[in-house]
Amino acid sequence: MIPIKYILFLVSGVSSFIIFYMGLVNYITAIDGVTGIILLIFATAVSAGTLLSTTYISKSITKPIEKLAENMTEFSKTNKIINKKPINTNIKEIYELNTNFESMGKKVEETISMQNEYVEKLKHIDKKKVEFSSMVSHELKTPLVPILGYVQMLQKQELMGPLNNQQLDAINEIYSSALKLQKLVGDILTTQKLDLGKLVFNNENIQISEFLDLIIKDFTPITHLKKIQLVKEYDANDMLFSDRDRINQVFSNLIKNSIDFVVPETGQIIIGAKLDNQSMQFFVKDNGVGISMDNQKEIFKKFYQIDTSTSRKRDGSGLGLAICKGIIEGLGGKIWVESKENIGTTFYFTIPIHSMSK
Amino acid sequence: MKFRTNIEKNDKDSKELNVLIIDDNEQITKMLTTFLELNNHKCIVANDGKQGLALIQENHYDVILLDLAMPEFDGYAVIESLESKGMLKNNKIIVFTASTITQEGLDELVNRGVSSYILKPIDIDLLLSKIIQSATS
Ligand SMILES: Nc1ncnc2c1ncn2[C@@H]1O[C@H](COP(=O)(O)OP(=O)(O)OP(=O)(O)O)[C@@H](O)[C@H]1O
Ligand SMILES: [Mg+2]
Repeated sequence: MIPIKYILFLVSGVSSFIIFYMGLVNYITAIDGVTGIILLIFATAVSAGTLLSTTYISKSITKPIEKLAENMTEFSKTNKIINKKPINTNIKEIYELNTNFESMGKKVEETISMQNEYVEKLKHIDKKKVEFSSMVSHELKTPLVPILGYVQMLQKQELMGPLNNQQLDAINEIYSSALKLQKLVGDILTTQKLDLGKLVFNNENIQISEFLDLIIKDFTPITHLKKIQLVKEYDANDMLFSDRDRINQVFSNLIKNSIDFVVPETGQIIIGAKLDNQSMQFFVKDNGVGISMDNQKEIFKKFYQIDTSTSRKRDGSGLGLAICKGIIEGLGGKIWVESKENIGTTFYFTIPIHSMSK
Repeated sequence: MKFRTNIEKNDKDSKELNVLIIDDNEQITKMLTTFLELNNHKCIVANDGKQGLALIQENHYDVILLDLAMPEFDGYAVIESLESKGMLKNNKIIVFTASTITQEGLDELVNRGVSSYILKPIDIDLLLSKIIQSATS
């Protein structure tokens, strides 16, 4: 980049030198001495005048342009127009350039400060939302404590005395409804946190094989009862560095769904994992009723449930898969489904390998 | 769904425990008292943190059940005061809370010297086993 004043000086220097040189040539070759001297004086005066006027032009044009350039550079760094150097000019174009720049700058400055204000407001709203949902969940959980407490005491008939069958049925119904309510409160809170990006993940080393065994063990009471097979398909020895409790929650939501959609006695659920270049890919596969193509697109949405006779008999709230998706994406992975109606369903999810430790 | 089998009654010979319950919710303290008395333990109730702290300083309890979320002087404040007096580790405190404390937060309390924790809504079998475990540890 060449500063404008150098160009001006170069042009005026060369032209005044040419005029002066022509004057000198005229003087030497002049017919008589007087004409020669007059011509020389005239040429000298013109070239001196050129140099002087260049200096003036340089002052009145290049100085303000230079300052304007400096102001602009400063502005682009700080986004603030306040600290600008004052510019005095009589030249119309430069004056307009400068006033336009100043008014543009002021607008940018205002917009930025307005944006900052909005960001602050949004942050505040976010914070209030989290506070509100944690307060609601606290308030909803508190009355459940005595409800569940007394129901459990009544169920243990040796504590509060024997119940007849009808009373025991009633108590068991209250108990299972209260547990559902408890689960729902927890699920709503988790979805809210996921939406706001406020779910905290705690990573630790997970020995995959052992981890899958423990998951299966948690489900044995119910799989035995329903005579459903739940097995592991994994014989490697990988470790994964991730959030054990949250991945467990994903598995448990998927397995609970599968249990509901396979047929007792013939139902089979396989859980497993395999290393797939940049990630550990887990799956939960069942031979249940399957999910139609159209519904496959919808099931990860909050509160979405497929309206069939089987699902009407269940008592989910449609949050399970939305929570799975939120957790897996929060851990940097992906979740998807492959399914054929009347054949079965497989849910896959990945956890990126960069989060693995030796 | 949980399936309950008849759980064997507590060993009749098991020692009677002196339990202090600190919680501002009277329905919860009443339920806990009922349950623990049915299991032949003795309960003393404090309805706020200040009162609870005063009782801890004057008497010995086998186990203290401490709610974290209470107005003004809350469970954390009780833990802090005991800590500053060097009394946290001599007392068997089980924190019980419905608030959305993280696992990390709970682990930190245990590291500081809290004996154990249980999340509300409470599984009463689990509560009883934690109380007995804490008292005998
Ligand atoms: N393995 C599966 N086989 C067939 N359909 C399934 C399967 N898993 C999920 N679905 C369908 O997807 C819907 C959404 O599942 P999701 O787990 O999100 O909700 P839910 O199980 O109904 O309720 P929640 O999990 O909150 O208790 C289910 O209602 C069900 O119709
Ligand atoms: Mg589900």
